[in-house]
Amino acid sequence: MHNSKAHIWFIAPAIVLMIIILIFPLFLAGGISFTDYNLGNKTFEWVGLENYDKMFNRKTYVKMIWATATYVIVVVPISVVLGLCAAMLLNSLRFGADIYKTIFFLPVMATLLAMAIAWEFTLHPTLGIVNSFLANGCGGVREFILGFHWLPWVDSQESWYAVACANNMDFPYWLKQKNTAIWTVCFIGIWQAFGFNMVLYLAGLTSIPRELYQAAEMDGAKSTWEQFKLVTWPMLGPTTLFVVTITTIRTFQVFDTIEILTKGGPSKTTYVMMYAIFEKAIQQNLTSIGAAITVVFIGFILVLTFFQRYVIEKRVHY
Amino acid sequence: MEAKQYIGEGWKHAILIIGAIVVMLPFYMMVSMSLKSQQEIQSISGGLIGAQETQTFPVCVKTGYSEETCTMKPYQYNYWFAFEKAPIPRYLMNGVIVTLSIFIIQVLVALPCAYALAKLRFYGREFVFSMVLFCLLIPVHGIALPLYVMLAQAGLVDTYSALILPWTISVFGIFLMRQFFMTVPDELIDAARMDGMGEYAIVWKVMLPTAIPALLAFAIFSVVAHWNDYFWPRMVITGNRDLFTPPLGIREFRGGIDSDEFGPMMASIVTVTVPLIVAFIIAQKRFIEGITLTGMK
Repeated sequence: MHNSKAHIWFIAPAIVLMIIILIFPLFLAGGISFTDYNLGNKTFEWVGLENYDKMFNRKTYVKMIWATATYVIVVVPISVVLGLCAAMLLNSLRFGADIYKTIFFLPVMATLLAMAIAWEFTLHPTLGIVNSFLANGCGGVREFILGFHWLPWVDSQESWYAVACANNMDFPYWLKQKNTAIWTVCFIGIWQAFGFNMVLYLAGLTSIPRELYQAAEMDGAKSTWEQFKLVTWPMLGPTTLFVVTITTIRTFQVFDTIEILTKGGPSKTTYVMMYAIFEKAIQQNLTSIGAAITVVFIGFILVLTFFQRYVIEKRVHY
Repeated sequence: MEAKQYIGEGWKHAILIIGAIVVMLPFYMMVSMSLKSQQEIQSISGGLIGAQETQTFPVCVKTGYSEETCTMKPYQYNYWFAFEKAPIPRYLMNGVIVTLSIFIIQVLVALPCAYALAKLRFYGREFVFSMVLFCLLIPVHGIALPLYVMLAQAGLVDTYSALILPWTISVFGIFLMRQFFMTVPDELIDAARMDGMGEYAIVWKVMLPTAIPALLAFAIFSVVAHWNDYFWPRMVITGNRDLFTPPLGIREFRGGIDSDEFGPMMASIVTVTVPLIVAFIIAQKRFIEGITLTGMK
């Protein structure tokens, strides 16, 4: 057997880097969050929980928590469900599945920042094709479908579409309006994330044995929906858990689209945590409050991952 | 039954095509704008590529070029002017330097460590491995602020080191490689030892070649993540254009949405975005494998 001390040289660099780059910063962020330290200051004082107190009581930070929560709660479920639906549709297709797969995966690959700018133009009120598409559809089928006139309780004169048409094509300035900005950013988030989930679900679907469906059919589960409930959904349990956790962690970290498109506005409706850290700590040099946000942020993510790894993981495995 | 199935298939395609159109919308917009003239962009006319009439571009003349140089077709002008206005090759080169350095250092650190964790028996191995597992939970973007403070104290803001250093350790890489090395038979390593190879030689001459498939997937994962990363460069590069990575370049091109010419701007964005997308389309399977590796990010 080998008696060399080679292992020390093999693991030492990794351990040193792990401690300096990953573990020490956790403590540093924790430490700074209890002080009034700002980058460039020579001295600092301990201020106890003051930064956290600010965070949970000042309007700005309350809005930050709201914006982050809204974004996560909207983007995660929709992008997971869309990913699942796309995967199941593709899986049942006779031909052409590969083309759709490539297309749906493109947003995952493409530089998000570039795509955010492309969306900005696509959704622009005077330059964008979305609003011109809507304006050209006034009084036609587009208005009927997208204005939800087919729902019995929607008055065809009062729908958002009809009102916009009547008011000289006053369609929303999607990214600049208080009531649409967060939803538009969410939409871009979903657009970017669902292809990733789709691919994970496709992998999950191929690992379900065919015999299970035959067995389910013999047990009387004839319709697609019944088979889905009885076989597909339970068998995808572990995949779903994984997809939800990964998507949540990635969604929490949203930054690119916010920084380039809305800068947290209008009136802080899209002021998500990563952007808040950046704005407070880097642009305004309020390091200590940024550190407090960092601690809360990491706390969220650690709790989430622990929850996934040690609590639920034991229950979903069949 | 047959007819019914075809109808079902048709419906599925209808839904998927609508989805595909929505997904492709910004790509269409991006390419289309990079080809058309300013007037066509502003009046939303000309379809995908516009009329491509040869014309003289006023902004170009104002910048100080002769009228003759400024007369060409819109698509030529957009791409030509984009390269005149910003050092795009420099940005792309920075992207290559940063992503490659990160990947190479990650492998240099992770591979020996993974080998030691998988194949060597030593005191404290379990502890080191649980440390790796713990570090897997830490989102690097999450600890960006303390890292920034540390780099600022070391005077490293606005340097290549700032872009590279925080990513030199990939615990995910260690974890992945360790799992892979566990499947390599011990006999292979014992045989190498019999031949008189040292542990260093074993890592680089025996383990590395066997790990190529896993390494390739990891390479794609790492390169894509860092090529596209905007948050970290935005934190540590404040003004020095020479250090701009592609996403920072994109941000610079954007300028004011109401003042600029859109054609050249979109042309720069397309130029910067295209290399990865082309690579993806060529080696799709590998890319999907690499990026969904486990999705740790």
